[in-house]
Amino acid sequence: MPAVELFYRLILRPLRQEPLRAALTVLAVALGVAAVLSIELAGQAAAGSFRSSLDTLTGSANLEVTAAGGIPPEVFARLATEPYALKLHPRIEDYGVISDQGGRTVPILGMDLISEAGPESTASATEPQPDFRLNESVWVSAGLGYKNGDRVRLLINDTASDFTVRGLLNEKAGDVILMDLAPATQLFRRGGRLDRILIEAPPTRPAEEWESLLRQNLPDGVTIARQGSETEENRRMLEAFRWNLRVLSYVSLAVGAFLIYNTISVSVVRRRFEIGILRAVGTPRAAILAGFLGEAACFGVFGGLAGIALGRLLAEGAVKLVASTVASLYFSSRPAPILLTWETAVLGIIIGIGISLVSALGPAWEASRVAPVEAMARGRREHQVSVHRWRTATIAAILAVAAWIASQQSAVHGKPLFGYLCALLSIVASALLIPVWVSGLAAITGGFIGRLFGVEALLATRSLAGSLRRTSVLVGALSTAIAVLTAVGIMVGSFRETVLVWMDDILQADLFLSPAVPAGADRHPTMAAGIPAQLAQLPEVEAIDQLRTYEVRYQGLPVTLGGMDARVGGGRRRRSFLSGAPAAQVFQELIGSDAVIVSEPFANKHGARAGDTLTLSLGGTLRSFRILDVYYDYSSERGVILMDRGTLLRYLPGAEPSNVAVYLKPGVSLEDGQRAVERVIAGRRIAVSRNRDLRDQAIEVFDRTFAITYVLEALAVFVAITGVGGALVALVIDRRREFALLHFVGASNRQIRRIILFEAGLLGALANIAGVTLGFILSLLLIRVINKQSFGWTIQFHWPLLVLLSALSIVYVATVLSALYPARVATRLVPIEVIHEE
Amino acid sequence: MGSLRLDHVSKDYITEGNPAPALRDVSLEFRAGEFVAVAGRSGCGKSTLLNLAGVMDFPTSGTVWLDGVSTSTLSDAALTRVRREKVGFIFQSFQLLPTLSVIENVELPLMLAGSAESRKVASERLHWVEMDAYANRMPHQLSGGQMQRVAIARALANAPSLLLADEPTGNLDNATSAVILALLRRIADERETIVLMATHSLEAAANTDTVVRLQDGRVESVSAMKKLAGERLTGSY
Repeated sequence: MPAVELFYRLILRPLRQEPLRAALTVLAVALGVAAVLSIELAGQAAAGSFRSSLDTLTGSANLEVTAAGGIPPEVFARLATEPYALKLHPRIEDYGVISDQGGRTVPILGMDLISEAGPESTASATEPQPDFRLNESVWVSAGLGYKNGDRVRLLINDTASDFTVRGLLNEKAGDVILMDLAPATQLFRRGGRLDRILIEAPPTRPAEEWESLLRQNLPDGVTIARQGSETEENRRMLEAFRWNLRVLSYVSLAVGAFLIYNTISVSVVRRRFEIGILRAVGTPRAAILAGFLGEAACFGVFGGLAGIALGRLLAEGAVKLVASTVASLYFSSRPAPILLTWETAVLGIIIGIGISLVSALGPAWEASRVAPVEAMARGRREHQVSVHRWRTATIAAILAVAAWIASQQSAVHGKPLFGYLCALLSIVASALLIPVWVSGLAAITGGFIGRLFGVEALLATRSLAGSLRRTSVLVGALSTAIAVLTAVGIMVGSFRETVLVWMDDILQADLFLSPAVPAGADRHPTMAAGIPAQLAQLPEVEAIDQLRTYEVRYQGLPVTLGGMDARVGGGRRRRSFLSGAPAAQVFQELIGSDAVIVSEPFANKHGARAGDTLTLSLGGTLRSFRILDVYYDYSSERGVILMDRGTLLRYLPGAEPSNVAVYLKPGVSLEDGQRAVERVIAGRRIAVSRNRDLRDQAIEVFDRTFAITYVLEALAVFVAITGVGGALVALVIDRRREFALLHFVGASNRQIRRIILFEAGLLGALANIAGVTLGFILSLLLIRVINKQSFGWTIQFHWPLLVLLSALSIVYVATVLSALYPARVATRLVPIEVIHEE
Repeated sequence: MGSLRLDHVSKDYITEGNPAPALRDVSLEFRAGEFVAVAGRSGCGKSTLLNLAGVMDFPTSGTVWLDGVSTSTLSDAALTRVRREKVGFIFQSFQLLPTLSVIENVELPLMLAGSAESRKVASERLHWVEMDAYANRMPHQLSGGQMQRVAIARALANAPSLLLADEPTGNLDNATSAVILALLRRIADERETIVLMATHSLEAAANTDTVVRLQDGRVESVSAMKKLAGERLTGSY
């Protein structure tokens, strides 16, 4: 195979002579692939585990019945009397905490164990014993570490109860605790309502037919659907979150692409003379093109393979961060095992090769266009770049206009696709402007820098401007990473500041009470109904505000429904409304009326506005409510509907509050107030938090939520800095004649080192300025378009100056330090040999 | 007054683990204002001799004395200073930095030496080689002869006592070569500089005061130009 032999001799063998540069390029691809794969794997694991324990125990049910606020008992009775051979499985589903396992939260499933003859259909062969008391019995997953007869203390809502383990469930079930329906109904305060009824319909009709047949006899507010559809809806809800993470992970890949482009460009430039000879001896253009694309494909294969291994490793850390965010913002979930499938591995290789080939296409094409005579004449290549820079600047201007147009478009199926397009176009436009920016700045400041910092700075400036192509690619790569760092930094900083201001607004009470079990976006544990009244009678307490929340579905998506005491006002409860209406006026209108206020994310997600009417399924019936106003809210991405507690109690008779806010009388110290409150709740598992504690906890959750974005940004910056180091080594090797000459004209090693460090410093400065400018534009895009379309929050713009300056300084110092090794290479060149080669 | 003396200088390069002699026991002495041609076939040690004289390399044995100072006793920093202040180099392929203008190329050694008057001195050197009209051009805008004149101006920037020229006319046509050789002659005569020129060309050697012929690293002969006058001064080694 002469072609393979030639490929080895002309492309691969030279790579072996520069193992460091080749390794750094492979590393850049590997990190890009790893970032994408780790986010994909972590996203799958975090979302894939949702309700997996409960779903495993669904047996052969094919339909499920649900209702917001619980299914009334008469619905079960109606289904039971249907003239069909249906098997009904009523269920209570919630979460509890195992006291003696460090507060481990597990799903708890209440089933009718008498009619289902024990959990043998889903459990391993441990049969229920006839002599036990069903109300005190549980069956637990084998993985929880209990054995038959053990005692287990469970914290459910604000009450701790002891149970005896009567059997172990098989491994497939995951972590779950099973108990009879009766104690579950009581402990979870369901008041006779069921969370779900699973139906096993006979296969005499298709599931769709059964669904429509049974729906006819169910009240309007009760939903019947094929089993598992809710899980699918939840997964869909996660899509926006996963999309944004995915896009962020692609940044590392994009930065890697810049560096592959640079590597292949350097390869082409350095072998231009060889290309000329090859063309002169009859090598076709296609072979030249294939050769350089083949070189890129090699980087892609090795980078892809390394990226798969690295991605699997990174996924371990990423899944914890993603799962924590999913649990805080979306639904209860335990991370499933990370599954690295063949498909994912192949995807990694395809991404590696794909990004390498796409990045290399430009320089490889240029190599194939080289005329033999031109290639053998030195000194034209940089001139060509300078000739083309105004053309690329024009293209950049066109792309910038296209980006602006894209930023004005609406979301597509809830995804800010045009927002991403705008980001991509902005990054490309910025990259195309870099040659003009670098040469312009070098021309303006070259003399000044030389006078200020000496001949080394002058040489560094001239050299960067002289090798415009390579400089532009490096500045482009680094500035893209810095831009993302800046944009996400501004977005997160702005978001944090907005949330802090919002919390100051809403956290007006002195003390806050909630059940001492972890709450989540879909978990609403409650306290005993009498507690608010007892608290209100305390002499230290001026007022009480209680909130009851439920998970309901609106337009197929989960939403938090809350009932608050709209009478508690008097300027105590503050809310900011989009309309600007005074809170007291809006709350006054809410009292006792069929009206609601909705959060901004709800309004954006469901296209709801003040004055619209919402129809909610509450307790098995459909009710309509007028939207009084939309309020700013950052507590839930899924959206919140709030109504007066009195109104909610008319439809869902659950008097137990989920949270209670306590306002102390003036002059009562927090310590005295807290002691008084704790006397009332003594013996109950209720957490009392002070205003400041709650605020700190919320900010902790916030920071944890965005930890993954910092990791991805750091990865992109690391890829860029690695690339700068590698490219500077290539630059030194390529300019060895110049460094050798400097030795001949009297430059010391220190001066040569200073030139390289100055170049890195200038690269870093150019990239910082370009990156911060682009980052500012991208931050506006993130805040006003992508975030708004993905999550629906209004974020007030804020410059997190300290954080940004620290991050940019670290990047800058790292960029300069990345030049230490190339500088060492430059000082170790043997000038005589280099000049002799020339 | 500048002087250069090589005292029993030998230089071996290590090739595949074995020493390969490039210069063997060379002893030579040159005075200020002497224009010397180092002639011989390719690989005879011409460039090695120039590199040792210009303290770009160290002899395996023997001593190089420049202006009365043994270069083998100097530190790296002192050697750099010697190269800056006492030695100028010109090359066959000119070796101008393409990113610097003509005057900036000439200024380079002065700036590296920290001279406060680099621009003034560079202008003067350019004027001396009659290239002051091209001061702000870039190297790629010059002809080969013009580039070599700029390279000479750069080599003279620090007023060296020794100018080393490695095949300075190798890339030039005959007419241009003659201009460059005349310039080197002027440097030796007017600036009292030792000019050591490696060359293949006997025509080039004809302009010099002394011709040192090397063969296989040894000095074959040292001839004053008067002795060569009767020989056929055309062709090359």
